[in-house]
Amino acid sequence: MNNIKNLTLIDDDEVFVYLTRKTLNKTNLVDHIRVFENGLDALNFIKNNLGNQDNLPEVIFLDLSMPIMDGWQFLDEFSRLKLDLSKKITIYICSSSISPDDVARAKSISEVSDFIFKPITSQKLYDIVDSL
Amino acid sequence: MGGIQELIAFYYFGIEINSSKIQTVTMEKIADYMYALDESAIVAITDQKGIITYVNDNFCKISKYNRKELIGQDHRLINSGYHPKSFIRNLWTSIANGKVWKGEIKNRAKDGAYYWVDTTIVPFLNKEGKPYQYVAIRFDITDRKKGEADLNRSLKEISDYKYALDVSAIVAITDQKGIIRHVNENFCKISKYSAQELIGKDHRIINSGYHSKAYIRELWTTIANGRVWKGELKNRAKDGTYYWVDTTIVPFLKADGKPYQYVAIRSDITERKKGEAHIKKINHQAIEHGRALESKNRQLVDFCNIVSHNLRGPLINISMLIDFTDNSESEEEKNEIQSKMKPVVNHLMEVFNELVESIQVKQDTGIAADKVCLEDCLERIKVGFETQIKKYQANIGADFSKAPLVIFPQKYLESIFANLISNALKYKSPKRNPEIYIESTPVSGATVISFADNGMGIDLDLHKQHLFKIRKTFHKHPDAKGFGLFMIKTQVEAMGGDIWVESQPDKGSTFFVKILNGEA
Repeated sequence: MNNIKNLTLIDDDEVFVYLTRKTLNKTNLVDHIRVFENGLDALNFIKNNLGNQDNLPEVIFLDLSMPIMDGWQFLDEFSRLKLDLSKKITIYICSSSISPDDVARAKSISEVSDFIFKPITSQKLYDIVDSL
Repeated sequence: MGGIQELIAFYYFGIEINSSKIQTVTMEKIADYMYALDESAIVAITDQKGIITYVNDNFCKISKYNRKELIGQDHRLINSGYHPKSFIRNLWTSIANGKVWKGEIKNRAKDGAYYWVDTTIVPFLNKEGKPYQYVAIRFDITDRKKGEADLNRSLKEISDYKYALDVSAIVAITDQKGIIRHVNENFCKISKYSAQELIGKDHRIINSGYHSKAYIRELWTTIANGRVWKGELKNRAKDGTYYWVDTTIVPFLKADGKPYQYVAIRSDITERKKGEAHIKKINHQAIEHGRALESKNRQLVDFCNIVSHNLRGPLINISMLIDFTDNSESEEEKNEIQSKMKPVVNHLMEVFNELVESIQVKQDTGIAADKVCLEDCLERIKVGFETQIKKYQANIGADFSKAPLVIFPQKYLESIFANLISNALKYKSPKRNPEIYIESTPVSGATVISFADNGMGIDLDLHKQHLFKIRKTFHKHPDAKGFGLFMIKTQVEAMGGDIWVESQPDKGSTFFVKILNGEA
C-alpha cells in the first residue's frame, strides 16, 4: 500500500475540514494535507506550481457548493490546465449533496474519478488508496 | 287577287264616293295597301259562324294546308288546344259584339307543328249591326315566342339562383365607390340595419375598425384591379355588436376592364370565430398552467438541492463530531470536539429558519399588496443603515418622480430595499466611497426599480447562474451568507415580478426589480 504524498482538500466547511483532517491523520495514509476554502484559491495554487509539480497533490477532494468559485467551475477551469500537467491528479468530488442530478453530472466529467458522499470515513480512505 | 278585290269591296262597304276620279285614285291606293298586307300578313276571312271563306298564300304556307283543304272548314281546324276556353270565349264575345279583337294565338299546322301568331280580328257588320264576316290578320311570331320562352327560362334560372343565394348568403352590391346599392334580407338581419338605412350609404357603415389599414388596402387593391377577393372580415352591427363574415367580393367590369360594381357574398362565421377564440384562450391557459407547473417543479428541484446541500452538510458534521467524541480517549480532545458542535448546530438552525421563511413567502401568495410610496420606504430603510452610511461616507440618491407609487406588500418592498442597500454597502469598493442611486421607471404594466452602486461588482461570467441562489456568496466577506438575494428573488417572484442584475467587476452593480402594476 502506497501512501499519498500530497492531498488537497477544497472545502469551505471548517468543521468538515477539521474532522476530515483528523480522520486522515488517524489513518496515516497521507503525508501532507493542503486545504483551500474555495475553488479559485486551489486553482491559483496549481497555476503557480506548474513549474514545480512535486508540490501538486496526487489526490484532490473537491466540495461542490462553495463561494467565489464552486466545484463545477473549478473542474471547468482545471480541465484547461490539463495540457500543462505532467503529474496525474485524481479528483474525487466530496459533497453532502445526494442529488442524483449532481451525481450524474459529476460522472459525465472525465476529470472526476468518483463521487464520495460526505462524511469521509477511514474505510473510504483505505478504499481510495487501494484503487490508486 | 280576286280575294283581295272582294276584300276591298267589303272594306269600303257603305262608303259613298262621288267623284269617280277620286274613286279611281283611292281604289289604286287601296290595292297597294292590300298587296302589302297580303305580302306581309297572314290573312283569313270567315263567316259569322267561323267557317273559312278566304285564306291568302301566307295562311296556307304557315298552316301547311292548301286552300282547298281550308275553304269551307271550321276555323277550329288550326286550333292548338293551347288556350283556355275562357280565352276563346272572350275572343268570340268581342267579335260577335262587333269589336276588334287583338291577341296572340298559338295554332297547329297540318303536320302537328305549332306556330304563334299575333292576331287582329276585325268583324264586318251588316245593316242590323250584326257581324256577317270576320277578317283575321295575323303575323308569325313563333320565333319571338320561342325567344321569349328561352328568355323566361333563363330568367327563371337566374331568379332560382338569386333565391338560393338570398336564402343562404348575406349579399350586398356596391358601386365602384363602395356606396351600397343593394342588400338582401340576410344582410339586414345580421347588420341590424334596414335596407333603407343601408342603401346609398358608404360600405364603411359596418366597418368594425378591427382590421389593419394594410388589410383593407389589400382588399380594395384586389377588387379595384378586377380580381376576386376572399377573406374573413369582422363587421359592426347597428347595435354595436360585432360579427364575423367569410367574404367573397366579385368585381363586375365595364368594357374598359374597370369595375362598375362589386357583389359581396358573405356567410356568418361569428360562431366559428368565437370557437376559435375560445380554443386559443384554452390553449393559452394550458400553456400558462404548464408554465406555472414548470416553475413549481423547478422550485421543488431547487428546494431538494437546497435541502441536500445546506441541511445535510451540517447534519453530517454533527454526526461525525458525535462519532469522534465517542471514540476519543483524551479528555482534551473531547472538549475540543464538543466546542465545535455549537456553531454547527447554530448554523443548521439558521439555514433551517431561512428555508422556513422562504417557504412561507412561496406559500403566502395571498399576501395583501399595499400602496407603497417608494420615497417613504427608502427613508424608513435608511434609518437602519445610518451608522454604516456615516462610517463609509456613503451617498444614497434617488428619483422616484416617474413612478412614485407601487402596489406591493410593504414587508417585501422593505426587504428588497434593505437587502440591496445592505449589499451595496457590504460590497463597496475599497477604492472609493459608496454611491448608491435608486430610480423608478414605469414600463408597460409594471414599474422597474433600479439600484445602482459603484461597488466591487460581480463577475457575471462566473456567477450569473448562482447569483440568486441560497447560500451562494461571491466575495470573501465575514457577513456574506448568501441569503439576501435568494430571499428577495423569492419575494419578487411570489408577486409575479422579476429581478435581474447588470454588473462589471470593480465598476459596480445595478439590480433591477420589476414590480407588476397590481391592485391594492
